[in-house]
Amino acid sequence: MASYFDEHDMSNGEGSAQPRPDQSLLLRILEMARLLQEEMDVEIVSDLGFMSVSGKAPPASKKVVEELETKLISPASACLGKQCAICLVSFVEEDETKVLPCNHQFHSVCIVTWLKQVNSCPICRYELPTDDPNYEEMRKHKARAKQREYEQETLHNSMFG
Amino acid sequence: MTNIAEARIRREFKEVVKSDEVAACNIKVELVNDTFNELRGEIAGPPDTPYAGGQFHLEIKIPETYPFNPPIVKFLTKIWHPNISSVTGAICLDILKDQWAAAMTLRTVLLSLQALLAAAEPDDPQDAVVAQQYKENHSIFEKTARHWTAVYAGGPKSYPDLDSKILSLKTMGFEEHQARAALSSKGWDLERATEYLIN
Ligand SMILES: [Zn+2]
Ligand SMILES: [Zn+2]
Repeated sequence: MASYFDEHDMSNGEGSAQPRPDQSLLLRILEMARLLQEEMDVEIVSDLGFMSVSGKAPPASKKVVEELETKLISPASACLGKQCAICLVSFVEEDETKVLPCNHQFHSVCIVTWLKQVNSCPICRYELPTDDPNYEEMRKHKARAKQREYEQETLHNSMFG
Repeated sequence: MTNIAEARIRREFKEVVKSDEVAACNIKVELVNDTFNELRGEIAGPPDTPYAGGQFHLEIKIPETYPFNPPIVKFLTKIWHPNISSVTGAICLDILKDQWAAAMTLRTVLLSLQALLAAAEPDDPQDAVVAQQYKENHSIFEKTARHWTAVYAGGPKSYPDLDSKILSLKTMGFEEHQARAALSSKGWDLERATEYLIN
């Protein structure tokens, strides 16, 4: 940021007891620069994370899959004629199913087979936790990057919007 | 073939055959044998693209582990596109690799391939030569893609100037497709294509 002050021949408020009228704007510009810098760091980290998992997401956490509640299809819900999106067979009474947090429902055997391979819902890609520390780290960074994107947008709107 | 894979393909097959897209001649699936592990697909080139008016045939192989793993798909019809090999027909598309999801079907795969024809991703290429031309000389790329569509997929547009260049290489003893491929990769520069074929 030094170059910003050099280029604009500013002294960074040095020696002025009174807050200058444009100081809050400067602070906000500085804040934006900090956010941008952090974002760039995050991108580098997530690229590395991505490489380490070779593009394909890891299986869902064993514990999380075990803890998914089994739901038996009731006569009433069997009548709705809904089908399992994995095997494409309609649910019938007494079928054992599991419902993911995104509310998508599958036969237990179908979804458990899938989650042993990839951690996301086959319909909407809602992600379940995994047992892969690298992948979890990358996900945290991604979530933070998203949060920053939101902050930047808010900041940008407050300045120019 | 496992029961789930075969049972699912049977269901999907019905789904595609009944779909609106088939009615509109947009996509098609046919069985190769009665074991359901190999199919032939067909997609129409999307309108307002260099592939418009062409019909593109696909080889679809169903793995034992389907639908937990994606079908293995390649173009049988020769095509000039950054994400499809002009030599082997191999496809670079995320949903056929690490972005596959078990709820996807033959229908969604065929529609995604059609979307790929309408919107190439030159930064994630399968064919580096085509991708470079796409980015650096887009009008030549479009003309070449349209020419390939006409020759191999039954598209409408013919280019006598391109045909005559191919003819002159043929009279030098080169095979037609080889001549077309060389000219296409060398931006239809006859001299550079000849040099390339000789070396
Ligand atoms: Zn199922
Ligand atoms: Zn879902």
